Amino acid sequence: MSNLVFGKYIPIDSLMHKLDPRAKLIGLFLMIAAVFVPKSWWIFLLIALLLSIALLLAKIGIRMIVQSFKPMIMMMIFLLVINSLTVRTGDILFTIGTFAVYKDAILNTMFVIVRLLLMISITTLLTATTNPLDLTLGIEWLLTPLKVIHFPAHEVAMMVSIALRFIPTIIEETMRIMNAQKSRGVDFENGKLSEKISAILSLIVPLFSVAFERAYELADAMEARGYVPGAERTRYHVLKFRFLDFLFMFICTAILAVSILSRFYL
Amino acid sequence: MSLIVIRNVSYAYNETRNAVDGVSFDVKKGDYVTIIGHNGSGKSTLAKLIAGLLPIKEGKIIVEGKEVNEENIAEIRTRLGIVFQNPDNQFIGSTVKDDIAFGLENKQVRSQDMDAIIKEYAEKVGLTAFLNYEPQNLSGGQKQRVAIAGILAMKPDIIIFDEATSMLDPKGKKEIKKLMYDLAASGDDITIISITHDIEEVLQSDDCIVLNRGKLFMHDKPEKVFEDAEKLRQIELDVPFIEKVREVFAKRKIRLKANDLEGMVEELCRSGSKH
Ligand SMILES: Nc1ncnc2c1ncn2[C@@H]1O[C@H](COP(=O)(O)OP(=O)(O)OP(=O)(O)O)[C@@H](O)[C@H]1O
Ligand SMILES: [Mg+2]
Repeated sequence: MSNLVFGKYIPIDSLMHKLDPRAKLIGLFLMIAAVFVPKSWWIFLLIALLLSIALLLAKIGIRMIVQSFKPMIMMMIFLLVINSLTVRTGDILFTIGTFAVYKDAILNTMFVIVRLLLMISITTLLTATTNPLDLTLGIEWLLTPLKVIHFPAHEVAMMVSIALRFIPTIIEETMRIMNAQKSRGVDFENGKLSEKISAILSLIVPLFSVAFERAYELADAMEARGYVPGAERTRYHVLKFRFLDFLFMFICTAILAVSILSRFYL
Repeated sequence: MSLIVIRNVSYAYNETRNAVDGVSFDVKKGDYVTIIGHNGSGKSTLAKLIAGLLPIKEGKIIVEGKEVNEENIAEIRTRLGIVFQNPDNQFIGSTVKDDIAFGLENKQVRSQDMDAIIKEYAEKVGLTAFLNYEPQNLSGGQKQRVAIAGILAMKPDIIIFDEATSMLDPKGKKEIKKLMYDLAASGDDITIISITHDIEEVLQSDDCIVLNRGKLFMHDKPEKVFEDAEKLRQIELDVPFIEKVREVFAKRKIRLKANDLEGMVEELCRSGSKH
């Protein structure tokens, strides 16, 4: 689990960490839009440059960013192959035997890949610098207008934050049950398909029963401490927009504006 | 008038049998009451009924003059806290301070007042240095202390402990028991109901309730309960070691009064030197 970097929070202190989660969420949406609009490499370069500055300010190492790309490599290769086979416009770049690879195939793939990499970096910037609880608070705030159509914004946020809180516990539990089953001779790595299925079942069944028990007990604990879904409650974490948050959102808006304008003028 | 009045309360999860069966007793303000009984004797069910976590269909429970029902439960819950057995399943916040804040948020304490309250109660349970810790980096005993701080922060009059120490290692058990004793000793302000299998704890309490198959089997001072070893044996409940010692000596016509081994040895030595 430790090699999973995408979406991981890095608990350090930095300028980016200090920004309001709502500002970062709004910034994320603006930036992702900005990445999708342009057709010019100059704009991608500009975005990449500004993003690097932001990552630097967030004290996120280049290693983490590169690692977060890793899961995408297979997909990129796949994309390249498909594009090479199907795109038949532009000049011929080179030929392999009788098979010609066209310039547009490479160019199209590069566009998609660059967009993907930028998107992943932007998302990493958000998740690495925002603790999950603040992120949920931010999402709840963004969803609040939907209360008009009776969307349970608070309940959804509470659910997400509890899920986040219990992920480590459930992982720990999975390990515990796996070890217990291993010591009873269940083999998770080898064996026929049918054996594998029964091994997985020997893990899933107790895991679910424990998870349900946890859920009931947690519900009791929450209720006993006065929690009533939908009832008015105050907040320990009060989100507050400050000057830097507005500045950050302004910069993101400016980038989106530039990238939209670039479609017309570049 | 008693702080908690329980009258003819029964509860059944299914038709086969009552998990709690016609139980009545009172709890006085400031008392430390222990509830003992076998697994499945209905102790947790009774605790949940008192805390309004299960609907009372038969009999009634009155807490601080208010009947436990849908109408009053929100108010009763601001005065009554419950600590459960599993430290993990009652840790709601993502860090210690968030967890202590959870009850305060529900109680609609003003945001700007919360930090001071959180610090005060974290200090009470000795977790000042752990405010930013996540549950996976805390021991079981520490997590239980967080739960207790979260409840104390709501300034309750009554705290129910449902086997709060039973999943902890010896060190954790000791920590939590000490906290409970300190709370009990703090005067008339806090009333404690503790469900336990720990005989030593029972002997510390003011009153002991024995449940058997959902029914109230005995209700007396703990010394009195254990004196009646025959009756406890009927339901195969263990008599504490200390009472076994007392019994053995009683058969030899030596009456020991002390409530701990140390005291008994003292008594024996004194009576021995007199001869
Ligand atoms: N959620 C439930 N659904 C159905 N039956 C239940 C439920 N909870 C408890 N019971 C049953 O009710 C009876 C009393 O259970 P309860 O949990 O109150 O006992 P307990 O005295 O707390 O036991 P323990 O010492 O094991 O905690 C038991 O027979 C148990 O099987
Ligand atoms: Mg129980």
